[in-house]
Amino acid sequence: MNNYEKFRMMMDNHIMLSFKGEITSDIITMVLQIMETRLDAVSEKGNVRKKIFNVLVECMQNLYHHAEAEDESELNSRKAMLELFYDDDYYYILTGNYIKNKEIPPLRDRIERVNSLTKDELRQYYREILDNNRISQKGGADLGMIDMARKSGQKLDFSFTQVNDKLSFFDLTVKVSKRKED
Amino acid sequence: MNNLRIDGSKQTPEIDFNGQTGILKISGRSIPENTFEFFNPILLWLDTYSAEKPAKVVAKVKLEYFNTSSSKYILEVLKRLKSFLNDGCDVNVEWYYEEDDEEMMETGEDYQDVSGLPFEIKPIED
Repeated sequence: MNNYEKFRMMMDNHIMLSFKGEITSDIITMVLQIMETRLDAVSEKGNVRKKIFNVLVECMQNLYHHAEAEDESELNSRKAMLELFYDDDYYYILTGNYIKNKEIPPLRDRIERVNSLTKDELRQYYREILDNNRISQKGGADLGMIDMARKSGQKLDFSFTQVNDKLSFFDLTVKVSKRKED
Repeated sequence: MNNLRIDGSKQTPEIDFNGQTGILKISGRSIPENTFEFFNPILLWLDTYSAEKPAKVVAKVKLEYFNTSSSKYILEVLKRLKSFLNDGCDVNVEWYYEEDDEEMMETGEDYQDVSGLPFEIKPIED
């Protein structure tokens, strides 16, 4: 594929941003700035814009705090991926990162629980966790997934691909509807 | 009592806590990765302030958006204010949201319920 074909593919798939590497604090700030400009350009405003921002911040902070290095001998190589694109109905926020195999069951349980709840139940669950859980060192307190499901109003789409006996790759896709009422 | 003033940044809200008037303002966005570093001085300031036994405190919260790790600390701030209330201080929280931001309004209701503080939830007037 030559660069023109690559470019066409990115255009045709409405890719707004595509990133692979370590998510640092500076990168989070930069990505938000880029997205602000992009969303201005398509005159996306108010509500939908805020939802995208909220989901994006949570996604990137998940990567910042939880991405594992592919190879422990390499320092600072907690590489992850992030991509944003849209179609006629939704914005899609995709992330991918390495995760320890032993961390999969609790994460899977949490997302499945979140996906099983209605809007009102999610709100109740959020309040419960907000009030009861201790703040972890990483600050997460398990609210991230609940919040993404609430803000997006959609089920979280996820999967794990086992890479070796220690690591798997965690795929997460969050959709935000372009229509306000969803 | 010293006032607490922290300028806002791309990741952190502006803090303007006035120990004399009892008006405590938080505004902007709160999305730092290391929430503890940002919020701990605020909680410590409130602890010192509580020893002064202020008669009246009004917290004005005007946040555009915040991440989930900030949400825990916002609750911690409100819990500190709840202890002010329990000590006989007249505490009020004014929670502002942008007109079309139903979620921020609902979040205000969530905090009102969880904190047990008197809340006024109102849209920002242009």
